[in-house]
Amino acid sequence: MFAFLLASLLVQGSSSVGGAPATAVERQPRTIAIDETLAARAHLKVGDRVSISALPGTIGDTVIVGAIVRRGADPSEVARGDLRVRMHLDQIQRIAGYGDRVDRFAIATTPAADIPRLIDRINRVAFGFNAYRSRDIAVETSRTFQVVSRFHRAIGIITIVASSVFLLCIMVLKVEERRRDIAALRLMGISRATVVRSIVMEAAVVAVLGSALGVALGWAASLFVNWHYQALYRTPLEFSMVTPATVVFAVSLSLVLGIAAGVVASLRLVRTPPLVLFGR
Amino acid sequence: MRAALAQASLIRHRARTVLAVLGVAVAAAMLLDMVMLATGMRESFRELLLSRGFEIRLAPKGTLPFDTDATIPGVGAITATLRANPDIREISPVLGASIHILAGNRDVSGSALGIDPSVQGDYELLSGRDVTTPDAIVANDHLLSQLGARVGDTLSVAAGYDPQTRTYSGQRKLVVTGRARFIYGAADQSSSAMRRETLEAMGGQARDRASLFMVRVRKGANAEQVRDWIDKQLPNVTAISIATAIAQVDERLSYFRQLALILGAVSLFVGFLLVTTLVTVSVNERAGEIAVMRAIGVSRSHVVEQIVLEGVAISFGGAVLGLALGLVTARYLNTILSAFPGLPMAIDFFLFQPKAAWSALGLLIASGIGAGIYPAWRAASLPIAESLRREAIA
Repeated sequence: MFAFLLASLLVQGSSSVGGAPATAVERQPRTIAIDETLAARAHLKVGDRVSISALPGTIGDTVIVGAIVRRGADPSEVARGDLRVRMHLDQIQRIAGYGDRVDRFAIATTPAADIPRLIDRINRVAFGFNAYRSRDIAVETSRTFQVVSRFHRAIGIITIVASSVFLLCIMVLKVEERRRDIAALRLMGISRATVVRSIVMEAAVVAVLGSALGVALGWAASLFVNWHYQALYRTPLEFSMVTPATVVFAVSLSLVLGIAAGVVASLRLVRTPPLVLFGR
Repeated sequence: MRAALAQASLIRHRARTVLAVLGVAVAAAMLLDMVMLATGMRESFRELLLSRGFEIRLAPKGTLPFDTDATIPGVGAITATLRANPDIREISPVLGASIHILAGNRDVSGSALGIDPSVQGDYELLSGRDVTTPDAIVANDHLLSQLGARVGDTLSVAAGYDPQTRTYSGQRKLVVTGRARFIYGAADQSSSAMRRETLEAMGGQARDRASLFMVRVRKGANAEQVRDWIDKQLPNVTAISIATAIAQVDERLSYFRQLALILGAVSLFVGFLLVTTLVTVSVNERAGEIAVMRAIGVSRSHVVEQIVLEGVAISFGGAVLGLALGLVTARYLNTILSAFPGLPMAIDFFLFQPKAAWSALGLLIASGIGAGIYPAWRAASLPIAESLRREAIA
């Protein structure tokens, strides 16, 4: 079981406090862990002494930076500019004036535990607090990302519409470019169906090759996006993922659109008399 | 003449032209949306902050306004310090707290602001009167509808809830004197305001504290200089000017600006590629026709202008259609992003500004001209005799 207490604290680097004296209670400086964003902004490294207080202008506890940690992949924290310090519970309780209180308890259960029953049992005997399942809290705290996800989906739909029109346009142009070839084939006695099939096959090959190139580009873009945003927000969170399902969806959609464009464009041409296609 | 020839060439392949215009329209719509997203969010936030004329905010050291529960002690002393600066015209201390209102058997919770009604900049009164007496409260429509209350009703309001003992530090009967629209409140937020001393008395915490100070500077004064002065005079607070607030919000929402930049660039490139492809194919098809024009004495520049005009016509047609489409999609996308938890109602991610529309249109026309240059160059440099011979053999 872990107890957590959150409080706003002021961290001052050793250079600014100039070896502030330790309080009577804390003769031996204790260690803290800070996140790498704070370490980077305050130019702190392991072993540095800092003074921590809850109120600006007051003499705080002198502590030693014992570790610099990277934040977990928590979507709810990505865009927040908070700087995190982890310290001993009793010390933060004293500095923040909280007394023997905490903000929350985290409880690890055994694999066989009946979670709903356990929560129900805690809530029946609890006085002044409620127990929640971690995943329910995760749903609440990820509301921001649900909105972003809906936004991405909408942008994705617009992109699909744009690429559909683009693909259709390119296929129509590509087929129309071969008016004379098609006219010659028709005059040689090749059936309409054969002409349509050959054009559709060509369209399908172009669509598959194009989508393969698109997947490669998307994969490279995904690597860049993850590298950039992970560095920007200092988080291991994956911002972009190319999954097999995404690849299958993209290739299938491209194939369907390519074939549809090929059918539309070839039908237009085979219905036109060959001599008209020749411009005669 | 050039326009007529370009028009004839586009009309000759109607289906192709319509498809190209549609393609450019979708790209233009996306481009407009992205330009609106990149600039609108910041402008909307700036307008929101300036809507009541307070250029500077003071928050507890190291925090943003109402980002944490931290408060600033010594309201009287801070106000006296600020009044010493002749560039500061008005000071509005604000205290924030959670309140609980008993409505029948229900306990409705909401947020309350403790303000001084003569200088407050947090809400607009829609009806009724302001909180001129200690027992007055104004509330937004969301809170009133949750309570089923109206102006004139008396509410039992409590603050300072202690979950361990399940008690409140202060409970009072307050009369709803007005309906208000809270400028910085989210759409689904139950908000109310009362006099600061009333909320302080109910809160049970130390007196003379504020969560935020809003400062209005004298007309013509430099807000940044005043901010620097406050920073020096009051080391226990963080002074935030409009510029610094926008910079902080920019940092938090940089993702959207970068997304707008990337998608805007991709849209522009797709539109460019589409027009280039179309005009190039069109030129290839008309190689003989162009050779004939050149043979009868039509100048190279005439051919170039005609081809570029075709590209610009497709881009312009697509852009006009796309701008209309872009406004519709922007409204839809804005509705999605408005659901961000805690986002003030007045913030728009996609804010239409004529400048944004002109920028998008200008970029598209420029890309249309750029798209026509390569095929036009090819058309102008066609060998006349060889092209005519090839056409005759074909």
